[in-house]
Amino acid sequence: MKRILNITLFIAGIVLFTASCTKDLNTVPIDPDQITSAAVYEDPASYKMVLAKLYSGLSVTGQQGAAGNPDVEGIDEGFGEYLRAYWYHQELTTDEAVLGWNDQTIKDFHWQKWGTSDVFVAAMYYRIFAQISFCNEYIRETSDAKLDERGVTGTLRTDIGFYRAEARFLRALSYYHALDLFGSTPFVTENDGVGKFFPVQKSRAELFNYVESELLAIEPLLKDAKTNEYGRADKAAADFLLAKLYLNAEVYTGTAKYTECITYANKVINSGYILDPSYENIFKADNNNSPEIIFPVTFDGLRTRTWGGTTFIVHAAIGGSMPPADFGVAGGWGGIRTTSALIDKFAGSVSKRISPIPHPRKAAYPLLNCPGSYQGWDPAKETTVLASVNGDGRYEGYLYFADGGTQFKFAKGSWDHNWGDDGGDGTLEPNGANIQVADAGYYKVNVDTNTFTYTIMKTDWGVIGSATADGWNSDQNMTYVPNADNNQAGVWTATLSLTAGEIKFRANDGWDLNYGDNGNNGILDGGGDDIPIPEAGDYVITLKLGAPDYTYTIERLSIDGRAMFWTAGQTLEINDIASFTDGYAVTKWKNVTSTGAAGSDNTYVDTDFPMFRLADAYLMYAEAVLRGGSGGDAGTALTLVNALRTRAYGDTHGNIAASDLTLNFILDERARELYWECTRRTDLVRFGQFTNGDYVWPWKGYVKEGAATDAHYNIFPLPSSDVSANPNLTQNPGY
Amino acid sequence: MKKQTKLLRVLLLLLSWAVTSFAIAQDVKITGRVTDASDNSTLPGVSIVVKGTTTGTVTDLDGKFALTVKPDATLVFSFIGYTTQEVVVGAQRALNIALQPAVTGLSEVVVIGYGQVKKGDATGAVAAINTKDFNKGAIVSPQQLMVGKVAGVTVTTSGGAPGGSATIRIRGGASLNASDDPLIVIDGVPVDNSSISGVRSPLSMINPNDIETFTVLKDASATAIFGSRASNGVIMITTKKGKAGEKMHVEYNGNLSYYAIPKTVDVLDGAEFTALINEKFPDRVNLLGTANTDWQKEIYQNAFSTDHNLSVTGQFKTMPYRVSAGYMWQDGILKTDNMKRTSLGLNLNPSFLDDHLKVNMNGKWMFVNNRFADNGAINQAIQFDPTKPVTADNEYGGYWAWLQEDGNLVDQATRNPVSTLMLKDDLADALRFIGNAQFDYKFHFLPDLRANLNIGYDYSGTDGTVFVPKYSSLNFNAGGVDNLYNQKKENTLLDFYLNYVKDVKSIASKFDLMGGYSWQHFYIENNTFADNVDHTLPNTIIDKNEYYLISFFGRFNYTLLDRYLLTFTLRDDGSSRFSPDTRWGLFPAAALAWKINDEPFLRNIKALSQLKLRVGWGITGQQDISTNYYPYLPIYTLGDQFTNYQFGNTFYYTYRPEEYDANIKWEETETRNIGLDFGFFDDRISGSVEYYERYTKDLISRIPVPAGTNLSNYVTTNIGSMENKGWEFNLLIRPVVKENFSWEIGGNLTLNTNKITKLLAYDDPSFLGIRTGDDIAGGVGNKIQMFSVGYPKYSFFVYHQVYDQNGMPIEGLFVDSNGDGKIDDSDRYHFKSPDAQYIIGISSKLSYKKFDLSFSGRANIGNYMFDNVNAENGVYERLYRPEGPYLANIVPAVYDVDFTSPQYLSDYYIKNASFFKMDYIALSYLVGNLYKNTANLRLSFTVNNAFTITKYEGIDPEIFSGIDNRVYPRPRVFALGVNVLF
Repeated sequence: MKRILNITLFIAGIVLFTASCTKDLNTVPIDPDQITSAAVYEDPASYKMVLAKLYSGLSVTGQQGAAGNPDVEGIDEGFGEYLRAYWYHQELTTDEAVLGWNDQTIKDFHWQKWGTSDVFVAAMYYRIFAQISFCNEYIRETSDAKLDERGVTGTLRTDIGFYRAEARFLRALSYYHALDLFGSTPFVTENDGVGKFFPVQKSRAELFNYVESELLAIEPLLKDAKTNEYGRADKAAADFLLAKLYLNAEVYTGTAKYTECITYANKVINSGYILDPSYENIFKADNNNSPEIIFPVTFDGLRTRTWGGTTFIVHAAIGGSMPPADFGVAGGWGGIRTTSALIDKFAGSVSKRISPIPHPRKAAYPLLNCPGSYQGWDPAKETTVLASVNGDGRYEGYLYFADGGTQFKFAKGSWDHNWGDDGGDGTLEPNGANIQVADAGYYKVNVDTNTFTYTIMKTDWGVIGSATADGWNSDQNMTYVPNADNNQAGVWTATLSLTAGEIKFRANDGWDLNYGDNGNNGILDGGGDDIPIPEAGDYVITLKLGAPDYTYTIERLSIDGRAMFWTAGQTLEINDIASFTDGYAVTKWKNVTSTGAAGSDNTYVDTDFPMFRLADAYLMYAEAVLRGGSGGDAGTALTLVNALRTRAYGDTHGNIAASDLTLNFILDERARELYWECTRRTDLVRFGQFTNGDYVWPWKGYVKEGAATDAHYNIFPLPSSDVSANPNLTQNPGY
Repeated sequence: MKKQTKLLRVLLLLLSWAVTSFAIAQDVKITGRVTDASDNSTLPGVSIVVKGTTTGTVTDLDGKFALTVKPDATLVFSFIGYTTQEVVVGAQRALNIALQPAVTGLSEVVVIGYGQVKKGDATGAVAAINTKDFNKGAIVSPQQLMVGKVAGVTVTTSGGAPGGSATIRIRGGASLNASDDPLIVIDGVPVDNSSISGVRSPLSMINPNDIETFTVLKDASATAIFGSRASNGVIMITTKKGKAGEKMHVEYNGNLSYYAIPKTVDVLDGAEFTALINEKFPDRVNLLGTANTDWQKEIYQNAFSTDHNLSVTGQFKTMPYRVSAGYMWQDGILKTDNMKRTSLGLNLNPSFLDDHLKVNMNGKWMFVNNRFADNGAINQAIQFDPTKPVTADNEYGGYWAWLQEDGNLVDQATRNPVSTLMLKDDLADALRFIGNAQFDYKFHFLPDLRANLNIGYDYSGTDGTVFVPKYSSLNFNAGGVDNLYNQKKENTLLDFYLNYVKDVKSIASKFDLMGGYSWQHFYIENNTFADNVDHTLPNTIIDKNEYYLISFFGRFNYTLLDRYLLTFTLRDDGSSRFSPDTRWGLFPAAALAWKINDEPFLRNIKALSQLKLRVGWGITGQQDISTNYYPYLPIYTLGDQFTNYQFGNTFYYTYRPEEYDANIKWEETETRNIGLDFGFFDDRISGSVEYYERYTKDLISRIPVPAGTNLSNYVTTNIGSMENKGWEFNLLIRPVVKENFSWEIGGNLTLNTNKITKLLAYDDPSFLGIRTGDDIAGGVGNKIQMFSVGYPKYSFFVYHQVYDQNGMPIEGLFVDSNGDGKIDDSDRYHFKSPDAQYIIGISSKLSYKKFDLSFSGRANIGNYMFDNVNAENGVYERLYRPEGPYLANIVPAVYDVDFTSPQYLSDYYIKNASFFKMDYIALSYLVGNLYKNTANLRLSFTVNNAFTITKYEGIDPEIFSGIDNRVYPRPRVFALGVNVLF
């Protein structure tokens, strides 16, 4: 009995001991970086830190920079970065970019032949829904009920009101991306919890309505334009997104909303954001100072690191002969270039003549022909003549002899009256011997028929003056450009960067023979007055001598400064997408500040990405007006477009006339203004030029010259993994 | 060895004389003879000790002995290779003892969970191998001892690095995303088998010389007692112990090994490379150099290792002990790789209270110093331009590097592999202690009842540093590397059980009842302090985690007529990884064994020495989700300093809500097993046949969830199921068993088929599967393996290559399998997997007089490999890289395909990698007595990794992942060994 008692007590002791130990199973994180959701909001600072995560979801890939602890799985972390994935979808599928790497199915993007299990499509899709899920969680946790429960009041409560509106804005932004890229998608809000359920699928129009209603609802709740901290969304951001949504409404819902587009584009235009005076600076390392950026995705070399975002854009664009240091990074990744289709949109620079158009002083001057071996011994040819300006028997003119040993004579319209020089003594004899010049060159020829003497002098011309690089010290040489048949008078030309000032033309690096322009009438005078150059710029200067009157032209060259391409060592056309040197490289994005300093790190880039910037609002306004929206007018549209072109050209020479402002012009102008900024695919779809054969570009449709593709590629497929995981989903048509 | 040499006999005679001379005069004199029970031959040199004392003797040349003892003494007869036998003297004065050779194994005791069982009485699929079966030669890590020895167990080393890790799979592994590693129990302590920082393999911290046996528990009826961690089988390691009554032995084991560089990757030499650049990129010849460097020759070396082990076994007063010390030093064949290991082992197993309380204490201390070579050099050596010299006069440490015109590095260019090795100091010091104290108390008032308490502690601590100077091209842009890291892992165990054994002769029944409790706590802490050399970018990462496992378990064994054996086990397991609602899991198992040969109608058939049928069933679980310790809790994670986000001019740290599954629970595997053990002619032919089926459901999977339903696109949850089915055959034949000549040959064959049967919450036939496996080299994020329903896990998922009439693959042309006019994922198909269909192990031991010759080899048949080396480097496009620009070497395999661009997903690169490997051939010679007959010397010569027969053209057909990509070559090792016994 005692034995049994002993055993019973022993076992009872064991049971009690062990039962108490089962409490050990109730663990909570002991890692200082991990905190339960119940505890996290006890710290008031957490509200802004979680908000920061919602924003950083657009820029970094996880909780460890530049990689590690990712938000989205199943794909390389760098590919899954929001902006990089978005860039792939919006740019690689268009005429604006190709990527040469062997990363999985990425080339399918440019060929427009992606499939339902494409990992890059999945990366974008899941990144969007990760963002939506994070926002939902935040919106759940910042409900009035929850805040009351936690006793949140005062300034923090007010601030959280803005945070919460911004979370809704970010969710609307991602739903906008979802409906634009994927059409009809699953739909979850803060009212759905976290767990096992199958979200319903909403049509594209339903998603449109939802995004519209959300943006309209939160617009009043957001901070006024330009009053929020940099990086955070304000009213203008919501207005911009509404304008964008309405501009594409016809694509999304079948119903045009151009009037609404104008309304909200107007709000943005009048919000206080202004165009950055320098187009280039919008894409540089210190673009956080740009007054034009309405909503950025921010990056920082030291504190916001990723292998996607602008780090990707800057590095991947560098290769071939491009010196990485010029772009503020240590090396290039040699990946992305552009096609000739984009280059073509910048074809032809605009030039404007600033010199006066000369009016001949007289209808005609007496002429003396100069037949010779250089022009086929034609005594009647009127382009190889000397002229007597004063009708006094003194003839002067310039002749071009392409070959040394050229022989010629003087004649009056026919061989009946001709003169040569017997003995080479400088006096002329009727029917005299041929005159021979030893060297090829451009000669000034003078004949005095009063004394029957002549002189010839070889000349080389240059431009000199205070407007030139070396001032009045030395000439800027000009180049003689002969005419095609070599015996007509050609012109001397020079392309020069000039400052405001004066110039003159002079021969042979001396003042013995020089021309100015008395009275600024476009006709040159020997030793004449200085010719004014009113403003700095690039100029093409031509000097046309031949027979008097001697004239010149000065043309101010205006180039579209948005054409930022690297051509050295690159070919315009792409034979092999994999080869970086096929296709022009793009120099638009840099990790260099506006003052030329390198970014804070030579691997991770500082440059922020302007998700929304004012120029796009200008173009949206103009397009909506052209498409028949009311509330705007064509004149304002033209002014806005020309404001962009004035910035692009540095002057008004690139400005267009009202008649030039067509929809097709807008599409091309959007490419010129916004290339590599993630708008192209949406634009091409809106213009009906993304898939069909109306517009093709190199390698579209897997054909070098470009080919039509099927219309179902206008939207991307839902990833097959989600269609499999969620029985409520129906795949997009055509996939 | 059954017979000893004459020299040894003389030595033993002398020893016996010495021992008996000092023996105190006793009451009675016992004489006798010891023989081998299997053939009645006499056994000289058998140790005979009076139990509980140091008094004893050994048998003479004729197996005879004489000893004077008290009448109530118990004599312990022990001899290497035989089962120890105890005899109470009582009235006997002449003792003729027949010792059972241990090799028959039936009476051998094997360790099972919370107890032990005679092998002949085992009801589950249990395989035990001990020292005499171990692989020989240059063995650094314990797992190498058992490679190829047990049917159903595969051990695949990760490569040839010193102390390199190995992947162990028992019956193919039962999990998809949860760990497939078996549970490893060392002296009753389930250890944390996850990787330890600064050590290539956690098991490499255990000195193989201290190991006595491996017991592999394969089926659920054997493993279910370990419940939640048993799905992938259990490997129980028992270390050597001191034995009661044993005289003091000193044993030295040492070897010197030479590691020869094996086959390296065939690449173009300088002349071939120059010619090809001239042909393919004539406008880039300016980038060529004039050297002819064999970069692989530059990074590899023939290496040496030495290994010294000393152990002392004996009994101090009443305290049996074993003390051991080991020192191992090994250079890798990749230059700068080195490992040093110092180990100390102590075992004490005294008995108290008249043998009622047995205590067994083990302590093992291991100190490992590693220098890690940067394995990136392996690939760099394949790809580096062979026309460039190793060194150059530059600012990058004097190693030639690809430079831009302005003198800066070409960022994307291949780094100089010699520079990579020489300019990196990656050092780690690790300490591991595994200790346990086991108290086994037989109740005084109820001797049938035992209480067993086991307290275990497994600690590892690592301190590591990584330094790369600023001028090294490897980390030039970052300003070099100056990292410190440390890790601390603790695993504390408390097990308690009661065991009641009752023989009820009246009903010819034996009852064996056991019930217990187990508590185990794991703590893992990682600290990393990363920085560059100038300390301008400090980044501290601290990780701390813990988890608890608490269990109640019981086992009931019933034996009827000593022929019918029934086992039933039950374990209730709790894991802190799961919520209070789901954390407890009940894991039952049952098994029946029938010793058929003991049936009266078979008893007279002499030829049949053993015939046993075993049937088992059980359910086991899995909770090991590696790094996810709180998968059910909603948690926010703080981002690091590089994921800040800018608001205004302030950068904010971020908090991310983590995905979770509040209802996550145990993964469950149901196993059915049927086995037949047989032996003929006194077990001269013995073996077993097993058939098993394993069904895993509620797989703990990391799978894509419906978008928007959780806080990530992948969530760890219970979904999917999988099955493994297989056959195992074991055969051991001893054709010759003679005094001076014996030969034993063994073989095993495993057939395992694995199939995923469910992956999603609902069945979608169009679902292709989940991309999986390691990223392949070339491009970024490319994966070639899939988990798909109806196919083995890690199946390759590839396109059908199209070939021209000459059999040459056509670049970029694949079969449009579904005929939709485009080539996309739906044209890919599942083609083979890295798992072998047949795994064969074969070994032989031949003893002739003083010579022992043994070998062990393995064949894997039907395993396939993705030839990543040729897929990436066998294309012309690699030669010139415009993003640099730079040149890169390629492999001559390019001529077989003539590809310009890589075709990674072509089935052309999925190659049959069946192989036969001779793991070792060992020859040993017993020199005999030395140094005035006080020592006994054995010399051995071993070739490890002797040869490989395969059609696979890569450098090694054995790569666990199935992706042949920059594998660390496994050297051929020549080892000279010395064993001295004092």
